[in-house]
Amino acid sequence: MGSQNVLVVGGGISGITAAVEVAEASQGEVYLVEKRPYLGGRVTQLNQYFPKLCPPNCGLEINFKRIKNNPRIHVYTLAQVEEIKGEEGNFEVKVKINPRYVTAACTACGKCVEVCPAERPNEFNYNLDKTKAIYLPHIFAFPYKYVIDMQFCQGTSCSKCAEVCPVKAVDLNMQPETLTLQVGAIIWATGWDPYDITKLEKYGAGRYPNVITNVMMERLASKDGPTGGQILRPSDGKPAKKIAFVQCAGSRDENHLPYCSTVCCLASLKQALYVKERDPEAQVYFFFIDIRALGRYEDFFNRAKNEANITFIKGKVGEITEDPATKDLTLKVEDQSEGKLISETFDLVVLATGMMPTTKINPPPARVALDKDGFILNETPGIYGAGCVTRPVEVAAAVQEATAAALRALQSIRGR
Amino acid sequence: MAVRVNPDFYRKLKKFGGQSATQCFHCGNCTVVCPLSTEEYQFPRRFMRYVQLGMEEKIKHSVEPWLCYYCGDCQRLCPRQANPGEVMMALRRYLTTTYDWTGLGRLLYTSNFWKLFFVGLLFFVTLWVVYTFHGPVVTEHVELETFAPAHIVHPVGYIFGTLLAVLLLSNVYRMYKFILGPEKISLPASVYLEELKTLLLHFFTQLRLRMCTDKSRWIKHWLLMSGYFIAFMLVNIDMVTRWSLTNEPPAWWHPAKLLWTYATFAMLYATTEAIIGRLRKKEPIHQFSHSTDWMFLLLLWPTIFTGLLVRIFMEADLALPTYYAFAFHLAFTVPLLGLEVPFAKWSHLAYRPFALYFIRLRERARAMQQPQMATEAEAQSA
Repeated sequence: MGSQNVLVVGGGISGITAAVEVAEASQGEVYLVEKRPYLGGRVTQLNQYFPKLCPPNCGLEINFKRIKNNPRIHVYTLAQVEEIKGEEGNFEVKVKINPRYVTAACTACGKCVEVCPAERPNEFNYNLDKTKAIYLPHIFAFPYKYVIDMQFCQGTSCSKCAEVCPVKAVDLNMQPETLTLQVGAIIWATGWDPYDITKLEKYGAGRYPNVITNVMMERLASKDGPTGGQILRPSDGKPAKKIAFVQCAGSRDENHLPYCSTVCCLASLKQALYVKERDPEAQVYFFFIDIRALGRYEDFFNRAKNEANITFIKGKVGEITEDPATKDLTLKVEDQSEGKLISETFDLVVLATGMMPTTKINPPPARVALDKDGFILNETPGIYGAGCVTRPVEVAAAVQEATAAALRALQSIRGR
Repeated sequence: MAVRVNPDFYRKLKKFGGQSATQCFHCGNCTVVCPLSTEEYQFPRRFMRYVQLGMEEKIKHSVEPWLCYYCGDCQRLCPRQANPGEVMMALRRYLTTTYDWTGLGRLLYTSNFWKLFFVGLLFFVTLWVVYTFHGPVVTEHVELETFAPAHIVHPVGYIFGTLLAVLLLSNVYRMYKFILGPEKISLPASVYLEELKTLLLHFFTQLRLRMCTDKSRWIKHWLLMSGYFIAFMLVNIDMVTRWSLTNEPPAWWHPAKLLWTYATFAMLYATTEAIIGRLRKKEPIHQFSHSTDWMFLLLLWPTIFTGLLVRIFMEADLALPTYYAFAFHLAFTVPLLGLEVPFAKWSHLAYRPFALYFIRLRERARAMQQPQMATEAEAQSA
């Protein structure tokens, strides 16, 4: 008889969904393993979802509640799968849990932050600002506990946080642990990374501060983001009055990501609405090869077109150059509908960087078939991909994929 | 204006190496990154479109393919790997056959059989002519002038040269009709003469090639071009001065000999480099080789090499090797000049500078029209 337990790797929207769906339909234990110190993945970093423009937190809160209410879901943050042995029905999985240096006793009072002398780049805001070495990942973090980044912490030689903590929750000597889990099926939902812009030589390869990615734009637009929700230029903090959206930055490009990442057109249209909402006078240019607003998303395209007063230009941006003094950016494009070669200067440029599956660089430590772009092909019995590791998808489709993967996992453990 | 399309055009272009145009999804990056494309003369993206739509007439009347020098920046950036540079190259090949009224160009570009046939024919006929009509063979000393008597070589050379010039210029005239014909420009003859300076400037310098990102291409090309031009002039001057055919080789410092040395090694370097480049396929310009590209290089290189051999054997006073080398030198030169100059790749020596000449003519015609229109408008408003 095989194991009835299921392991879900990746605590983003896909992983969370899969975990609760499996747990609510099975008798076994569900282990949810997340690399970061909190659940929710990239969705937590979004300002709003398209097409309804609602914040992602309400959906996440419901799922967190389902997790809390189900004693058979075991969440491990700061955890990574190191080894997978065995086969469908009888996997033995080694999970390494990195130390948080803060125990479950933490009440998130925040006194530690006041005394911490060290700073670290805030990767939650894509390094647009900094936090102390002891920090709360973000205001909706689940679990709502502080964490220490040991790369920047001064360690026991400082210990100020440990001294000030009223509940003695700081443990600077915490050690990593290894956990061995017996599971019948595995759902792999480790998500995606934005395409590495340092590879986009013609777009400045990450050297221009005012060329940001679409995921950074989400943080700029967020109330809890580095600018409190204002669209400011990273170089000088001035409001961006003229903004360019550069579509297909890496996607649909045989030299980078050969596929369409499917979400970027809608994400950029959504972000154009952010801009317009904050500053109706702002000018928004949208440079595209094709606008891919498929199915019912056509309505959203029309809405953005009508509300945001966007200048659409058919033509992929060929080159971005920076004025070293003003840090303004000049874009060169062939405007195909006008038949002109244009050169336009902007305050801020948002690159619609494509989605690259994390499995491209970190494939599962098991015999799992990947396609040439690193997406999981669901060919291995007992191991199922969910969300952006199978194809580039928006949140709604990721949730559906996760439910589908949960069903596959349930079918797999059912027979045993 | 009605536009006639030929939906099978891309199939036609396949034979010229331009089939990848169908891959293009029109992002326009190639046109943006192109250092030679301008607001008025935009390429390559538009031409990818023309090929996809089969706008053959439009392409026939276009000058843009001759403005592209295949820097390859477009090809490196192209997200579809649609090879825009190669498509422009294919269009030049296609236009070369379109300008040529004899139909021989089309045979050379589209059929390996006819290519080999004509090269072989001219090669062996030349050898046969040398074998049959050569003068007395002196073996004690090199006496090339005795072996190849001037009273035969010169008239044959003049006739051959005149024939090639007539063929090439008649094709250039057709090019003129294609490009400027529909515009019905009327210019005084003096403008045609004045603008010859554009023609000569670009014929001798290929300055536009310097606008490419990789400047070394211009140097290599200019070595080849200047080397060839010097060699060509030396041969022609030779018909008068007879320095190379004299039985006493001139001293090494003889100006003609110094120039000859430069020409030989400049050309040998540039052609060898091109052959290696086409074999290694590292640069975009060398990634795709049409059979006519090889035909050109495999005729040019042996021509230069056998020319070098003639010189070496003459200096060493080896009579028979000199005569053999001379015979083979001619056997490579005749198909090289006879086929490449009027019908194939080498015709670009005329089409490229003439394209710029025609553009200047167009600009001049417009400039002359505009003040006229302005005065008419003034008259009307008055």
